[in-house]
Order: sequence, then C-alpha cells, then structure tokens
Amino acid sequence: MHLNRLPDLARRAFLRRGALLGVAGAAAPWAMNLSLIGQAAAAGSPTDYKALVCVFLYGGNDYGNTLVPVDNTHHAQYAAIRGTLATPQSQLQATTLTPLSALPDGFVYALAPQLSALKPLWDNQRLAVQLNVGPLMQPTTLAQYNARSVPLPPKLFSHNDQQSVWQSDLPEGALSGWGGRIGDLMLADNGGSVFTCISVTGNAVYLTGQSAVQYQMGTSGAVAIQGITRALNGSGSAQQALRSLITASRPAHRFAAEYTRITRRSIDAEAQVSAALAALPALNTSFDGSSQLAQQLQMVARMIAARSAFGVGRQVFMVSLGGFDLHDNLAENHPGLLSQVGNALAAFHDATVELGVVDAVTAFTASDFGRTLSINGDGSDHGWGGHQFVLGGAVKGKRFYGTPPAVAINGPDDVGQGRLLPTTSVDQFGATLASWFGVAESDLASVVPRVGHFSPQKIGFV
Amino acid sequence: MAMYMRSLPEAPATLAAPPAPPPPPAPVAADAGARAAAAAALSGAALLAACGGASELPAGFERRAQARTDKTVLGVAAVPAPAAASAAPAAPGVPMASAAPGDVPTASALMDWAERVYSGFFPEHQADQVWAPYTYRLYSNGNAVGVAEGRVYVLGPLVGQSEVPVDVGSLVEFGPLVGASRWAYDDLQAARFLGHATLGATDADIVAVRALGYEAWLALQFAAAPSSGNWDWLVARGVDKDPDAANVAKFVDSQVWQRLIAAPDSLRQRVALALSEVFVVGFDGISGPWKQFKLAAYWDLLASHAFGNFRTLLEAVTLSPAMGNYLNTVGNQKEDPATGRLPDENYAREVMQLFTIGLHELGADGSQRLDAAGNPVETYTQDMVTQLARVFTGWNYDGARSSGNPELMRKPLVLNAAQHSTLAVSFLGTTIAAGTDGKAALTQALDTLFAHANVGPFIGRQLIQRLTTSNPSPGYVSRVAAAFANNGAGVRGDLAAVVKAVLLDDEARSHVGLGHSDFGKLREPLLRLLQWARSFKASSRTGDWNLGNLSDPSTRLGQSPQRSPSVFNWFRPGYVPAGTAMATDGLVAPEFQIANETSVAGWLNFMLSMSSARHADVLPDYTSELALAGDPAALVARVEKLLCAGQLQADARQLVVDAVASIANTGSGPTNRVYTAVMLVMAAPDYLVQR
Repeated sequence: MHLNRLPDLARRAFLRRGALLGVAGAAAPWAMNLSLIGQAAAAGSPTDYKALVCVFLYGGNDYGNTLVPVDNTHHAQYAAIRGTLATPQSQLQATTLTPLSALPDGFVYALAPQLSALKPLWDNQRLAVQLNVGPLMQPTTLAQYNARSVPLPPKLFSHNDQQSVWQSDLPEGALSGWGGRIGDLMLADNGGSVFTCISVTGNAVYLTGQSAVQYQMGTSGAVAIQGITRALNGSGSAQQALRSLITASRPAHRFAAEYTRITRRSIDAEAQVSAALAALPALNTSFDGSSQLAQQLQMVARMIAARSAFGVGRQVFMVSLGGFDLHDNLAENHPGLLSQVGNALAAFHDATVELGVVDAVTAFTASDFGRTLSINGDGSDHGWGGHQFVLGGAVKGKRFYGTPPAVAINGPDDVGQGRLLPTTSVDQFGATLASWFGVAESDLASVVPRVGHFSPQKIGFV
Repeated sequence: MAMYMRSLPEAPATLAAPPAPPPPPAPVAADAGARAAAAAALSGAALLAACGGASELPAGFERRAQARTDKTVLGVAAVPAPAAASAAPAAPGVPMASAAPGDVPTASALMDWAERVYSGFFPEHQADQVWAPYTYRLYSNGNAVGVAEGRVYVLGPLVGQSEVPVDVGSLVEFGPLVGASRWAYDDLQAARFLGHATLGATDADIVAVRALGYEAWLALQFAAAPSSGNWDWLVARGVDKDPDAANVAKFVDSQVWQRLIAAPDSLRQRVALALSEVFVVGFDGISGPWKQFKLAAYWDLLASHAFGNFRTLLEAVTLSPAMGNYLNTVGNQKEDPATGRLPDENYAREVMQLFTIGLHELGADGSQRLDAAGNPVETYTQDMVTQLARVFTGWNYDGARSSGNPELMRKPLVLNAAQHSTLAVSFLGTTIAAGTDGKAALTQALDTLFAHANVGPFIGRQLIQRLTTSNPSPGYVSRVAAAFANNGAGVRGDLAAVVKAVLLDDEARSHVGLGHSDFGKLREPLLRLLQWARSFKASSRTGDWNLGNLSDPSTRLGQSPQRSPSVFNWFRPGYVPAGTAMATDGLVAPEFQIANETSVAGWLNFMLSMSSARHADVLPDYTSELALAGDPAALVARVEKLLCAGQLQADARQLVVDAVASIANTGSGPTNRVYTAVMLVMAAPDYLVQR
C-alpha cells in the first residue's frame, strides 16, 4: 500500500485537526488518518530518514557498577562504600573512558568490564554518556528536596510509576508517552503510517501519542493468524466467519471495541510486515541468539532496512531488557545483563553501519531509576538519578554530558544512601533527542512538557 | 442441605449488600434513561410540587386504569418466562431450584432493589409511603415508583414525564431480578455466576448452583477442605526422589496446571489464582534447588489460605521460602555501620506498595483521599521503607539448602536473632522499640499493616477486578471493603466474607451489567484456557499436564501461572491502555496490558490448536457437544452457555451458527463442527470480554 505524503501547509492543518480530534483520533487513528490524508494532495517521497530507539532497562539499572569511577580518589571512595560489590580498579583499565574534554575534580570513569563492546564506539565518538539524569519537575537542589519546597516527581522509587514517569512524564495511568508524542508530530509526514511507533517489546506507554499508536511486534516478525489464512477445521466458510467475527465492529462495549481494533491492526499490518521482511537480504551483522535484547534490536535493524516498504521517514522504536531490580545477587546477575546491553548495542550499531544509516539512527538507554550507592549486603535498593548511554553516528560522542555526582552516601548530590538527585532532567534528555529527530523548537514542550523549566533545554549530545 | 428461599425478607441480614445504600449514584445504572432522568430532574420536581408536595400520591398514579406497559424500563423484559426459568433439571438427590414462582418480593424489597440496581433513576434511599392501593416512593429527581395490587408502576423523567403511570411488570415477574443476587433464574445466570466464581462452568456446577442458590453453593465451597496439594502431587510422582529434579526444574509448570485444571475446588483455586496475581512470586526471580517444590508449596499456601484470614495469609506469605527468596527476605542482614551496609528494602517496599496498602491513602470506596490542596496523600515515605526493612532482617531458610531433599522449600523461614536489626522502627505512625526481638517485631509490623484502613479497599478492589469487573463503582468497592473490615461477626480480614461480597454484589449479579459498556473485564488468557479446559473436561494423556511454560505471546498463550515477569504481575490493577476510549473516559483495563498485535494473533493460533485437540497431551472431551453436532444452533448455544453464559451478541452468534452449519455433518464433519463452534466462540470479542 502506498502511503501519501502531505505538503507542509496541509501537515499543519492536519496536526491542528488531529489535536482537536483528541479522543476520536486516538480511538481510531488508523482509519481516521487515512481519511484525512485523502483530503490532501500527495507530495514527494521523504528526503531523509531518522530513527530513535529507546532501550529501556526494566527494574532500575545500578548506575554505581555501570559507570565506575576509576581515578584513585574516586575509586577509593566508591570501593569504601560498595565493599564486596565494588569492581576492582585493576578490572577497569581496559574500559577506562578518555573523553575529549576532561571532567572536573579529576573524575575519570570506566565502563563496567562487561560493557567492553561499547569502548570502541566511545573511541570512535559514537557513544556519549549522560550523567545523572532522571525525572524532575524543575531544577531541584538538595535543600529544596529535603524541605519538599518544590514539586517533586510523583511516586518516586516505585518501579511501575517511575517507568511511566520516564516514558511519559506522568505516573502509571499516563495517557501518552514522549516517544508517541514525537510520533504525533511525525505522523503526517509518514502518511499516518501505523509503522511510526514500533515496539519490539511488550506494551508500554512510551510509544503511544494522541494519534500515534504503538504497533507491537515480536522478535520473529508479525504473527499471522492461521485460522484466517487457510481453511478452518477444513471449512472455508468457517475461515471467513472467523475473519468476520474478529474484525466486526463492537460498539456495544468499549473493551470489545478496543480489542477488535488491535486485531484489525494486527491483521492489516501483518501482511505488509511479513512481505517486507521476507524481501530483505540477510544482515551480515550477527546478533546473539540467546539474548532477548539482541533479538529485539535485530528486528529493529531489519525494520529499518525495510523502511521504504512502509514509506516512512521517521520511526520511533522501543526495545527492553528486564531483570535489573538487583536488591540481591548484584554481583552474580548484573555483569550478564550489562554484557547483553553492551553487546546488543554494539551489534545494533554495526548493523546500522551495514545498512548505511548509522548517522540516521540514535539509540539511547533509559531505566526506572538508578539505585542506591550503598549496598544491603548483596545488592542495592531503589534510587533516582542514573547514567545513560546515547549511541549513533550523529551523536557527539567520546564526551560526558551532565555533572559527575559526588561518590558519597548522604553527600551533596544524593537524597540518602547514594540515591542520586538528578542534575539533568528526562525532559532535557528527551528534548535533545526530539530536536535531533526533527521536532521544531516550538513543539518541544508538547513532547516533554516541563522542558521550559530547565536551561538549557537541550543538552547537545546529538 | 439445600436452602429454600420462599420469600424475600425486607431487610435480609444475609444479603451481601448492606441494608442502607450510600447516596452517591453508581456508574452501573441503566443506560440513557439515567441521563434523561438527571436532565429532567427539575421538571420532575415541578410535577410533584403541582401535586401538593411529597406526601400526596402523585397524580399520575391515580390514572392506573390508563397505564401503558413497558417492561424494558427496569429490565423485566430480559427475564425468561417463569415456566422456562424454573425448569432446572434436578441432579439426583438435589432438591429443585428455589427460584420457583413462589418467590415474590414485597413492595419494599422491590423498591430497595430498584434503588441499588437503578441508582441512576432512584438516586437515594426513600421511605415507603402508603396511599391505598399503592405503596410508593418519591425521589429527589422527580422519579417515582409504586406497587399496587402486585404490579409495579413508575412515573417521572425516567419514562419521559408520562401523564399515565408506566406498568413495568408484576412483582412475580420481578422475582428473578430482585433475587438475582441470591439465585440464578436460568442456566445462563448460573453459568454467568460460575464464570465469576470458578475456573470454568460444567453442567454439574450449573445444576448445583440453580438448585442451591448462590449462598448455599458458596457455603459448600467455603466449608470444603482444600483439594490435594501441588506438593503432594510432585511427591506422588517421585519428583522429590529424582536426583535431576533438584537442579532441573522438572514439572515446575505441571504442578500448578494440574491443580488449576483438575482440582475439584474450583472457587478456591480461582481465588488462589487471584491471590497469586497480588502476592506474586515468579519462576524467573527464584533461585536455588527444588524450584518446583518451592512454587508448589507457595501455591498450596495460597490455596489453603484463600478462605481464611488475610492477616494469617500475610504472615504465611512473608515467611514462605518462595516469597522470602523472591523479594529477598531470605538472608537479609541487619545494618553494619562499619561498612555502611543497610538492610535490603525490597520486601519492605513491596509488602506495602503491592500487598497491603498501596501508594496513596484511600477512602473506603477505593477513591484516593486528597489533602487540602487537592493532592493525593502518600501512605508511606522512603524513610519508612528504609526503617521497615529492619523488621525483615535475620530471617532465613530453616536449614541449609541442599539437593538432598526439598523439605526446606515449604518450611517457614526461621529467625537468626544475631542477624536481626536492633534499631527502632518507625513507620505508619507506629514505633517498634529498639531491641524488640524479631518475631515480636514482625508481628507488630504485620499487625500495623493489617490494621491500616487502606487494606480493605486496596485488596478488595483487586479481588473484584480479578473476579468480576475492571471498573467497580465506588459503592461496590465500599461494600467489599466493608466485608473486609467486618465479616458480620466482628472479624476483620475474613477472605471468605470478602469473596462472597465480591460475587454476590448486585453490581456483579444484576442483569444491568450485561448491557453496560463499562461493566466487565477482558478475560485474561489464563482464564480463557482454564475455562475451556474445565468446561470441556480436559484430561492429560500422560497425567503430567504437559502444558509447560505458556508465556510466549507469539506462539502460545501469552501468560502462564507462576511465571509473571516481575512482582508486578502480568498486568497492573491501574493499567490504562493509552490512546483508547477507555483512557479518555478514565477507565482502567488491566488485562489490556498484555493485549497487542502479537498476542491477539498468538492467542487465536494457540486456541486453534487446543480447541481442535492438537495438543500432544492435554485434550478435551467433547462427547456432550458431539451429541449436538446435528443441531448447529443447539451446539453453539451449549458452547456459548458454558464458556460465556450466552453473552454473544446476535450477529456474532449467527456467524458462528452459520459457519458450523456450513460444515457437512458426515464423516469428520461432526467433530469439525464442534471444533469450529468452540474456536469461533473463543475468538469472538463478545466472549473475550466477560460480563
């Protein structure tokens, strides 16, 4: 199916109509957007392509052992606090990061040894590190936090709520995520394509916007419904009946209506996705078959390779890895998780090089929260700010962004037990990515509503 | 053993609903009439005023001779004719249904019922007034209901300000509706109840429910001892003697599938399933040997406490090896000032956030309390979590874990006093004194949690969501929370009372929910499979129930018992599917958290295989259905009855019947007809959304 493009004026009119549509648009975005496009003249094909890839680490990734201070002073502080869970200095030599501009206070960081696959990307200026980023309502000092004198993010330290806050600026129950809100702005240029916001992991609010909906697929591609593609129990009539049954509109009950909508999207998209993927040459880059994250990123790479079949110029993807809630067994389990993250991201980078889109694709990590720096014996507990990675050809890599936090407990930069008070907000982080992606200055606040409280609004890593 | 209910007392003590319903109107009122009623309230009051005030019989009632009939107004039109309704086939030894024509409600009982079930029309409780031959009530919105000579009449905005009364049915006809929270007036009502109360309806269950009435049926379930446990099932198979089984989790899924599909105590297992989705322990988060025994013991624990006391359950869960492992109570050490090590906070946080009180203060109806500035009020602070964590220190397995035998996996954790924190603990307005011994500290902590006003609405609302509907009205939550607070005999935390309150509430049992767009829930995939397995008498070829891990949504069910990916279960109670009409209208839809383009397709593929008996081990027995293969309408009606209490809409039903009929009834035709009937019903969105 060819999807039309809208010229710019029509695009703005479409967006205004889309905003007015509100619920109606959200309730039937696929059909609604197609009908609106019908009112606009077709324009030319996209002149460029960009993809944003959110790599969500569920459970709250332990920042303390992800990016480890390796200079003598700070490593000693770290080791004193982390005790048996501290990574020895000797193991950090190979992954020590030398940035283009030195950090203040003699801070030198190393990647955890298991993230060694990211080191060459850092050296090639394709990997940047965002220090101490997390949800904030506005710039917040420790004194303000302690006095509760400024608004704070809702439901801090709660997994499901902080996952939602990271993804949407609101706690669980949020109606849209900033990835989806970016998608809203790109939807028109994509001809309203359902392949604007794509999840290769489960349902999450991140990719849903006011009009843009998340299209969810698995690591093996789109699933075809067998009962409608061949005779059902030997009966062609039954096969037809099944198709009618599962796609017929169900106005009498909201839940049934919504379920039917999902089924229709599933059916409509499957043929297109399966055909597009089948037509692709195999990727040379290999992804670890035993890693869920690697498999998800491989599918993202393949969908990017297939982008012309979908006629899209902008896509937002989401993948994830779980298991980071390491209250215990941090030493046993964290290395393996980091290894998956490093290797999968490196393979993904390589795949984008292979596909000739390395400058067009930017991936970033995110997580519910960082964790405590103090330990409970064999693990760490829920925290707040953490360090994240940004990766891609457009990234101004080999640099640190943000402020290195003091390596302390109950120090100047934490709210107790080494839970970091973020010095960069998710809004700024998201605004930076959105801006690179093509979101206009004046639209940034519609993507990350609180960005206006912060200065600078954009961080500059991409 | 059966209880005959010959008449409805006016203020029945044993009814689930309390006698005096609270004023706020419930969202589960009927349809557009309620909105019309609200809109026309002013003119209704004028009508009354013109009649000289509230004490006089409304003039319209005097024109009874000219009354027009409309049996749709209060739902009587939907009730089958009394002759058919009462013709329940009797099981041997089971007395006939009590839903006989002899059950005629009094006028007062009828009007009490109308206030509960049609609160949009009748928004507050009004006293009976008498003006021969009427007994009647007048409402603030101008509506009026009155009973004269056994017939029920209404006036007011709800019938468009008719000048003559509208005859909405006789007291006899209203019997089944008024009694809907006490007995099933036909097989479909019974099946609907069983869809809420069990893991799958069978013919025998339907007969029993119709014969006994709901209360007596429930009483039997509550009184019955738990079925033989998962632990014993493993031992009977020699799994504890199998040297490989310690480290390879053989039968880890089988042990729970067998209970869920084959155990006779279906309500108890349904509640255990619901509890397993609150007090989550998942395979991915446990460690060490004998995982199958650890999880089996945990399921046995949930099942055995399902009708007991919540406080007892809470302590049993806290000290279970499974939960102790999953949320890190096991081996949790007290603080060490020398190294800065602090107690693990995992259990302390989740026992509050997920198992007892949640994140915000709640009213008795489950709504969030707001402070003076209009903000929700946090129940606990981070500091309270840090302090409460001290309570859960010093506990460990009752012995060294070994591959030798699994016995440790079901022994409650024991206290090592040397590892228990001696610091004071302040949380939720309580202080546990420094130096309190671990057992006493645990008792005090759990008592404090149990006593919190949030527990009733917090847990009650989730049980409603797991059993009947995703968006209960504040009234429904209040009534269930009230049952938690006091089971009627002064006991707090009686789960049997809570379960009964959930299942017998008007909101769940009334016909109104069947037609209301906000009532009901998306059946979670696990319930779909289990209801199919039980309704069609599934058996295991090998006896091992080799369904395995069905978590994969692209190729399997997308959900599997005791395999939740995190302590947050497969879906959150507060999940809102973004970008949907539910979101805009402020509804939650938990089960939609695992509904997406992959899982809807995976479900259909998986069910195609199961329904057409293609699984290698777990196979249905369609004997009863095959007997109806020659009559597609009857076949589909039976399948619909068992699986979804006949809730397919007419257009969907016709599609299914026509499809079945299109298959020639020869050779393998009958079998294919049955397979197709089952598959199509289970594919229908009308089936997937349970009401």
